[in-house]
Amino acid sequence: MKIPVYMPFLAGALAALGAGWVGFPHAIYKSRPQPVDFSHKVHADKAGTKCEDCHAFREDGTFAGIPSLSTCAACHAAPMGTTVAEKNFIDRYVTPNREPDWASYAQQPENVFFSHITHVKLGQLKCEQCHGDQGASDKLRPYQVDRISGYSRDIWGPTLFQSKAAGTVPGMKMDDCVDCHRKQGLSHSCLDCHK
Amino acid sequence: MIASNPAIQPNPAIQPNATIQPNTERQPSRERKRAVSRYGMSIDLDRCTGCGACMVACAVENNIPPAHEGATARKGITWIRVFKVDNGEEGPARRSVFVPVLCQQCGEDTPCVHVCPQQAVEVDPATGIVGQMPERCLGCRYCMAACPYHARFFNWWDPAWPAGMEKTLNPDVAPRMRGVVEKCNFCHGRWHAAKERAAAAGKPEIEAGAYVPACVESCPTGAIRFGDLKDSASEPAVAAKDAHSFRLLEKLGTEPKIYYRSKRDWVRQVAAAPKPPSGKENARG
Amino acid sequence: MQRTRREILLFMGGGAAGAMLTPAPWRLVTDAAIWSENWPGIPRPARGEITARYTNCALCPAGCAVRARCVAGQPVSLAGVSGGPLSLGALCAFGLTGHHLPYHPKRLKQGTPEEAAAAVRGAMAKCGPSENIAVLDLAPGRSASWTYRRAMAAVANGVYLAPPLPLGGAAVNLAKARIVLSLGAPLLDGWGTPGNVHAARANFRLVQAEPWESRTAALADEWLPIRPGSEAALALALTDPKTAASAAQATGLTEKQIAGLANELRANGPALVLSADDLPEAMALNQALGAWGQTLAAGSEAPLPDVWKKAAPERVVASVADNSIRVLFIDESVPGSHIPWSAVEKKLVRDNPVVVAFAWSLEGYGRHAQFTLPTAVYPELTGDIPPAVDSPAATFRIAAPLVAPPAGMTDPSAFIAKATGIDPGNALQERADAIYKSGQGTLFTYADAKSTPLKDLKPADFWKSLNEGGAWIANAAVGQDAILRGDCQSPRGPIANRPAGCLPANLPHIGSLDTAFPLPVAFSEPQSASLTSPLMSKLYQDSDLRMPPNTAALHPDTARASGILGAARAVLETQYGRCAIGVIPDASVPPGMLAVAAGAEVLDICGALTRAKVVAA
Repeated sequence: MKIPVYMPFLAGALAALGAGWVGFPHAIYKSRPQPVDFSHKVHADKAGTKCEDCHAFREDGTFAGIPSLSTCAACHAAPMGTTVAEKNFIDRYVTPNREPDWASYAQQPENVFFSHITHVKLGQLKCEQCHGDQGASDKLRPYQVDRISGYSRDIWGPTLFQSKAAGTVPGMKMDDCVDCHRKQGLSHSCLDCHK
Repeated sequence: MIASNPAIQPNPAIQPNATIQPNTERQPSRERKRAVSRYGMSIDLDRCTGCGACMVACAVENNIPPAHEGATARKGITWIRVFKVDNGEEGPARRSVFVPVLCQQCGEDTPCVHVCPQQAVEVDPATGIVGQMPERCLGCRYCMAACPYHARFFNWWDPAWPAGMEKTLNPDVAPRMRGVVEKCNFCHGRWHAAKERAAAAGKPEIEAGAYVPACVESCPTGAIRFGDLKDSASEPAVAAKDAHSFRLLEKLGTEPKIYYRSKRDWVRQVAAAPKPPSGKENARG
Repeated sequence: MQRTRREILLFMGGGAAGAMLTPAPWRLVTDAAIWSENWPGIPRPARGEITARYTNCALCPAGCAVRARCVAGQPVSLAGVSGGPLSLGALCAFGLTGHHLPYHPKRLKQGTPEEAAAAVRGAMAKCGPSENIAVLDLAPGRSASWTYRRAMAAVANGVYLAPPLPLGGAAVNLAKARIVLSLGAPLLDGWGTPGNVHAARANFRLVQAEPWESRTAALADEWLPIRPGSEAALALALTDPKTAASAAQATGLTEKQIAGLANELRANGPALVLSADDLPEAMALNQALGAWGQTLAAGSEAPLPDVWKKAAPERVVASVADNSIRVLFIDESVPGSHIPWSAVEKKLVRDNPVVVAFAWSLEGYGRHAQFTLPTAVYPELTGDIPPAVDSPAATFRIAAPLVAPPAGMTDPSAFIAKATGIDPGNALQERADAIYKSGQGTLFTYADAKSTPLKDLKPADFWKSLNEGGAWIANAAVGQDAILRGDCQSPRGPIANRPAGCLPANLPHIGSLDTAFPLPVAFSEPQSASLTSPLMSKLYQDSDLRMPPNTAALHPDTARASGILGAARAVLETQYGRCAIGVIPDASVPPGMLAVAAGAEVLDICGALTRAKVVAA
């Protein structure tokens, strides 16, 4: 039986499509779990009701980002509950006084200047609008990083490249920032956001 | 046939427009919005001692690395550089003046903006600062050829700091890589910080004097002053109207925002000369 | 089944077409672009809370007030404090880059303190009756200096050596001056406290008398181009008009000009005369013009604990007998004056002297000392800064540490105190207590720009504020029990009565033309025998604004005559030795002289008014 001419072509195309859509995302991203099995939900109930209680703003408006060990150790110097996750945290980080190497899903390149206070105070944006509903999550999703570019998978927002775990987290690429600024009629010149 | 009517006299009330003024309301195509501020500087050449504090303060603020082994006065990176220029005389009649030169922040027909194939430089609508974005730059150096003030610098080498000294880098400014052009941006990292402080206080705009570039802050004699040219009380705005003020290469029409001032006539003459005399090899081509 | 080549090519073509419809190639292109911009080795600046900390700059006696911008506690940039009482917000290029010094590539990291201590003990035991143990303190007037003086008083044959203070320890009140004659002193280029000088500039007319157009001459109200080496003659003629004729010959000025200047100095006072190397003739002219009590006064230090007053006197190196020092400690931990090694070496005993240098690099006396023990460097060290030459009142300022020093550093005071058996105590705190007890003066704090009289403060607050950035300034009038600076000064007696050992120059002036060394030397850069930040390359290498240390500029004709073509390496030679320098031809330097940027090597052979020659390397 002679194989039709288009068969190898089709076979190649299908193989490439499979590799490109299924294999490639699997290969291009490296996944690692966060260093501590932290539950936002538990802490939102017990430690603070607002994001800013831990992810604090300083007086001069700069954003402190992910809390440092001293914020956590203020309460967790000794175990407060019975979970394995907390025990691991105290043994690995609090006792030896070692900062956990958190991975930030929203990590931006070095040359980007993003002012949280401007967006929160003047722009009246809620944390969930850009970071998704972290406060209600019980587990931290694994950090998926592009092996070549070094940036998180979550910057892609609700596009084809988004991971399922990220859900509906909006995109964090430059285009996404410019889009929103355009819609709001705000300036978006180079100097506004680049260092 | 329409014969010319001798009864029609020219109307003396209509005066010919002898001096046609350029239309200053016309904005270059990039500045679609009217600028909120136009930051500028005034530099008093009668005060500058050529100490070089501005040059090192700029390098500290903007994460400029120490010179590579191969760096010379032509290849080094000095976003602000003080030149020594003299009146061309020899012996006791010689008089020198020190002239700090930095990006003149051209307002009109900005040469570097026109030539960049990557649109890596833009005149910022809100501040009038000519903002260089090294992350977009592909390193063709066309802007360096276009800049009449030789105020742009290329990273010929990877930046390298002695071990440990990278701890002293300023987080408000991103270090650049090899192969891109950089230049003075009026310390826009400090502008960002000022805007953030204003936002923390709930104000959308920064106040006058809320931010000054590093060279202005460091000048021990106060020769370099900074301010908003739109604010008629600011030093640069006052200097702009002063009879002793001048700008470099004014006839090119770049409308720089840096006003130099000197009461000494010879300084003003020398500044307008095609090749100011100097005993030093003021190597900027 | 055989696959034909055609089938394989079709398969590959299909693969390519299919791949185009997947994200893979597009993402790879984008990622490659991003990857190409994230060059390895480009550091990411550290993030953290931004705070301001205050201290005083320890890099020169001006001791300007410093505000450090710190990120997570690490200083990333320095600036002046705009309300700073004397410095008035100014900071020089060296001060602006001081926070880089702890990371200098030439920083000394290791030493052998145990070995050094053992060698010192052995040598001290062997010390003969006419032999001395000496401390050479290159930055006298600090509280640590008093510790050394006490240590030397506690041992037999202990000698405290220091370079003479500028102007013999007198203090200049620039605000009172209406006319200033500077005989080559770099008044506008690093003299005194730059902020103070520039603030006072509008009040006086400046006449700069020097052979070449320095930065000060370029901005002076009048520049008198005199011949090199004729400064003393000019000062003499201005004091005593009878010598005007010979002065005119020496300087190249006309007698009329000299007479005019003499009249101006007397008519438009108060006057002040400064010179590059503290010429005695300049001091005599100051006296003749009545500067004492107006623009010049006896300089004083902050009050001392009484128990410190049992201390060895300050002496100059020249006053010690040759070959008499068996153990020498050299404190080079803060930048100060440099005394030529040849002048020091001849005072050491011939057989196995022990020389211990305390320095943060090997570039200075580390080249000559047997033991160089690494010390903390500004902004790590804690010490105080002596009053500046242009501070009319006594001051007390602490250079509080902004970063912790690395492990293994030696504290010179502790080492010397241990070797001599005294208790170093906490010198700074004891001094602060003594100042507090005196009850006078004002404390200026930088953080809030407030000025508080001392008597309104509690002692603990006084000490705390001094360590968080502040300055104590005495009330202006020098009290009866003020600690005068410069033991060998004699402000009201004739200069001729000064002991020979107190003459400022460590190397005698060569007055007459010496054909072996034809080129007079002028120091053209603020002197720093000490290393400076690598970022100073902006001024030395990325531009030609200033000359790096151990470089000389000379007129192209003079260079050619010395056999040097273009910018090159050369050898500088004086009667005290030779050293390698870089040479830059510069037509703004008059022919027949050298403008030199001093470094440790040059200062070893060359004083401010020495004569030298230059030969090709």
